[in-house]
Amino acid sequence: MGELLCTENVCCHFGGVMATDNVCFRVNQNGLTSIIGPNGAGKTTFINIVTGKINASAGKIIFKEKDITNKSPHELVKMGICRTFQINSLFQNLSVFENLRIARQAMHGGSLRLFSSKQSLKAVTQDTWAMLEKLGLKEMAARPAKNLAYGDQRVLEVAIAMAGDPKILFLDEPTAGMSPAETLHISKMIKELAKDICVVLVEHDMDMVMSISDRITVLQNGGIISEGTPEEIRNNQQVREAYLGKEE
Amino acid sequence: MNSTTSIPGISKRFYPLKIFAVILILCSLALFPFISDNRFYISLITEMMIYGLLAMSLDVLLGYTGLLSFMHNTYMGICAYAVGLFLIHISPTSLWLACFAGVVFTSLVALPVGWVQVRTGGLAFALLTLAFGMMFYTIVWKWYAVTGGDDGLMGMPNPDITLFGWHLGSSSDPVNIYLFTLTVVTICFFLTRRIINSPFGAVLEAIRENEDRASFVGINVRRYKLLGWMLACILASIAGALFILYKGYIGPSTMSAFAGAGVLMMVLLGGMGSLWGAFAGAFIFIYIQDYISTMTEHWEIFLGLFVIFLVLFLPTGFAGLGDYFKRFRKA
Amino acid sequence: MSGTFSIAIDLLLNSLVLSGVFLIVAMGLNIIYGLSRIMNMSHGALYAVGAYIGYSLVATGVNYFAALIITPILVGIIGLLIERTIILPMRKRSMVYTLILTYGLMFFLDGMIKHIWGNRPRFIELPEFMQGMISILGTQYPVYRLMTLFMIAAIMIALMLLLSKTKAGIIMRAASTIPEMVSCMGINMSYVHMGAFMLGCAMAGAAGIIAGPLTTIDPLMGGEMLISSFVVVVIGGLGSLRGAVIAAILIGFVQTFTEFFITDLAMVIVFIMMAVILAFMPRGLLGEGKFE
Repeated sequence: MGELLCTENVCCHFGGVMATDNVCFRVNQNGLTSIIGPNGAGKTTFINIVTGKINASAGKIIFKEKDITNKSPHELVKMGICRTFQINSLFQNLSVFENLRIARQAMHGGSLRLFSSKQSLKAVTQDTWAMLEKLGLKEMAARPAKNLAYGDQRVLEVAIAMAGDPKILFLDEPTAGMSPAETLHISKMIKELAKDICVVLVEHDMDMVMSISDRITVLQNGGIISEGTPEEIRNNQQVREAYLGKEE
Repeated sequence: MNSTTSIPGISKRFYPLKIFAVILILCSLALFPFISDNRFYISLITEMMIYGLLAMSLDVLLGYTGLLSFMHNTYMGICAYAVGLFLIHISPTSLWLACFAGVVFTSLVALPVGWVQVRTGGLAFALLTLAFGMMFYTIVWKWYAVTGGDDGLMGMPNPDITLFGWHLGSSSDPVNIYLFTLTVVTICFFLTRRIINSPFGAVLEAIRENEDRASFVGINVRRYKLLGWMLACILASIAGALFILYKGYIGPSTMSAFAGAGVLMMVLLGGMGSLWGAFAGAFIFIYIQDYISTMTEHWEIFLGLFVIFLVLFLPTGFAGLGDYFKRFRKA
Repeated sequence: MSGTFSIAIDLLLNSLVLSGVFLIVAMGLNIIYGLSRIMNMSHGALYAVGAYIGYSLVATGVNYFAALIITPILVGIIGLLIERTIILPMRKRSMVYTLILTYGLMFFLDGMIKHIWGNRPRFIELPEFMQGMISILGTQYPVYRLMTLFMIAAIMIALMLLLSKTKAGIIMRAASTIPEMVSCMGINMSYVHMGAFMLGCAMAGAAGIIAGPLTTIDPLMGGEMLISSFVVVVIGGLGSLRGAVIAAILIGFVQTFTEFFITDLAMVIVFIMMAVILAFMPRGLLGEGKFE
C-alpha cells in the first residue's frame, strides 16, 4: 500500500517564529500514527495546516497523489480529511442527533434541497441512528449538545468528525480533561477506528500513546526530530533530551 | 427505526390545536374586510403584514443563520423603488412583470453586497450591513433625478391585479391590496417555514451555532451564508413590492437606519428564531408605534428605551414567553 | 497656478483635520472593543452629545478651553452611568445583544438630543483670536482648523503616554491580550471594562467638542460620525490601534478629496473603497482585526 498523505517541507511562521519548520510527514492507508512533542512544539499548528485551518508559508501537501496545499477546510473534508479540536467545538444548541445528522448531510449532499424536509434524506437519517447506536449516544439523541456531560461531549466531538467518512482522521488531544475511565473508552474507540482508516493522534498521555500507536513522530520547535515505532522512540536519546533536557 | 418519538428533526408531532389556530387566524384575517368597514384598520393590518414579512426575512438571517443586519429595510426599499420606477416609466399596467423585475433587480444589488459581507466575521458583517445600508440610503436621498430625493417617488399608477388573465380588481382599492398582501404573505410564510425545516435550513442553523466547525464537517460556509443572505433579501424585496402597492409612494425615510432599527425591534419583540414570532413582533410594534406617535413626537426616545428594556429583560422575545410558561407549568 | 496650489494646501490640511477627528472617535471605539469586546453603537451619539454639551457650556459663558476639558469629563461620566446600568448586566451574553442594546441606546440619546436642544443647527462661539485666518505658504487658512490639529495630536500623545507609561494603561494593554491572566493577578476586570468604556466615551466627547466649531452641530452629526468611524475601524481591523491610524488618514483624505471633486456621492466612493479592501483583506489593512 502506498502513502495516503505526505507533506513535503511544510513551513509556517508567525512573524519571526517558525511554528512549523520543514516538516516532511507521511502516513499510510491505515494504522495509528501519533504526534508527540513538548508544549509549543507545533503539533496543533501542523494539524491546522494539513486540515486547512491556516495556510502553509511554504511546502506541499499531497493527499492520494493530489496536491492539496492551502485548500479550504470544507474541500478537504469532502476529500476525506477530517479532524477534531482540542477544545470542544460542537453545535451547542442543536441536539446530539442534529449534530451528527448535519455532519452526515454535508457529506452525503442534498443540502441545497430547499423545499423538502430534513427527513427526506433517508440515508442520512439512518446512518446517523446507526452511528448513535454504535457510540452509545442513542439515549441522549434529543438532548442539546451543551447539556451533555463533558466526557460525552468529547465522544460527540470525535463522532462528528467520523460522520464525514474520513480516509484520514486527525485527533487533537481527544482525551484532554477526561477521567482515566473515559480515556480508556476513547482509546479503545480510536484503536477500533485505526483498523479501517488512518488516524493521526496528537496526545499528551504517554501511556496511551505508547500502548496504542503503530508509529510515533516527535516534533520539537516546529521540526521533526524523530520517527519510529513506540519501542524505538522510547529508547531514542534525542527524544529524551527534548522532554527532559540535556544531561549536563 | 421505531424509536422516533420526540427527537428533534426526526418526527414532527401532529399538533391539531396549532393547525386549528393557524386556520382560525388566516380565516379571520381574510374575512376581516368583509365584516368591518374601517378603512383605517384595513390599511394598518396591511402594513403590519408587510412589515411582518420583512421582519420574518430578517429573522431568517438573524435567528437562523446568526447574521445581524441593521438595515434590512434597505432591500425592501430598493425593491419598492424598482417596482415604482418600472410602473412609472416602463409599463403602468403590468403588475406582475414590475414585481418580478423589482425582485430580480434587488437580488442583483444584494448579490455583490452579500459577496463582500460574507467574507468577514459576525461583527464586521453587522457593521457592513449598516455601512451599505447608509450607502443606498444616501444614493436614494441624493439622486434626485431618478428617485425624487427627499420627496420620494410620486405619481405611482394603480395597475389592476390580475392572475392568468383573471381580473381580481384594481390596486387602488385598499381591500384588494389587503387581500393580495394577505395571500402573498401567507404563501411566503409557508414557503419560508418549509425552507427553514429543509436540509438547507439545517445547514444555516449549523452555521449559526458554530461557523468554524461547520466548515470542518464539509460545509462551504461562505456559500451558504451568501445563500441565506440572498433568501432574506429576496423575501425583503417581496415585502418591498407589496409596500409600494399598498402605499402608492416610497420615500427615503423607509430606507433609513431608524426604520431599520424598527425592523430589528420587531424581530426581537417576536423572539429570534421564530417565524411566527416575527409576525407577532411586527403586529405589536406597529400598533404601539401608531399609538405612541399620535401622543408624542419623541418616538425615538421610546424606541430606544423599548429596545434597551427588551434586550435586558426579555431577550427571548414574545415567542420565548410561550416556552417560559411551558417550563413553568411543568415545574 | 497659485490658485490650484492654495486649493491643494487647503485640501491637504482639511484632510488631516478630518482624519484627526475620525482617529479620535475610532480610537475610542477600538479601545472599548479591544478590552471588552463590545461594539458601542451609541458612540456617534455620544460624539454628538459632546458637541452639544460643548455648545451649551460655551453659550452659558464658560471659557472655550475650560469647556474643552469639562466636556470629555462629562461625557465620560455619562459613559460610566451607561456602563454600570445597562452594559454590565450584558457582559455574559452573546455579542448580538450588546450590539442591539447600544443601538437602542443610540436612538435614545438621539431622541434626547432632539428633545433638549431641538432640531435647529447650533454653532459654538469661538474666542476671538481663533476666528481669524492664518497664512500658510501663501494660503489663507482658518486658525481654528490648524489648532484642531494640535489638539488632536495632544490627545493622541496623551493616550499613548497613558497606555505605555501609567499602571492603568499597562493593565489595559495586558487585559486586551489575555483578560483571564489579568483577573488572576487580582485585578477586577469589571473596573477595567468600566475604565475602558469611560475612556472611550470621553474620547468621543472630546472629538465632539473639537469638531463642533468646524461644522454646524445638528442631530444628524452623530449618525454620520458613527458610520464613518465604523468604516475606519473595519478597514483598520477591529481592535487594532495601529490599523485605525492608517485607516483614519486614508478615509479622511479620500472623503475630503471626493467631496471636493464629486460632492454628493463622496460617501458612496468611501463605501465602495471599503468593500474592495474588505473583499481582499477581511481582517483590515494590517491584518490585525479581531473578529469574534
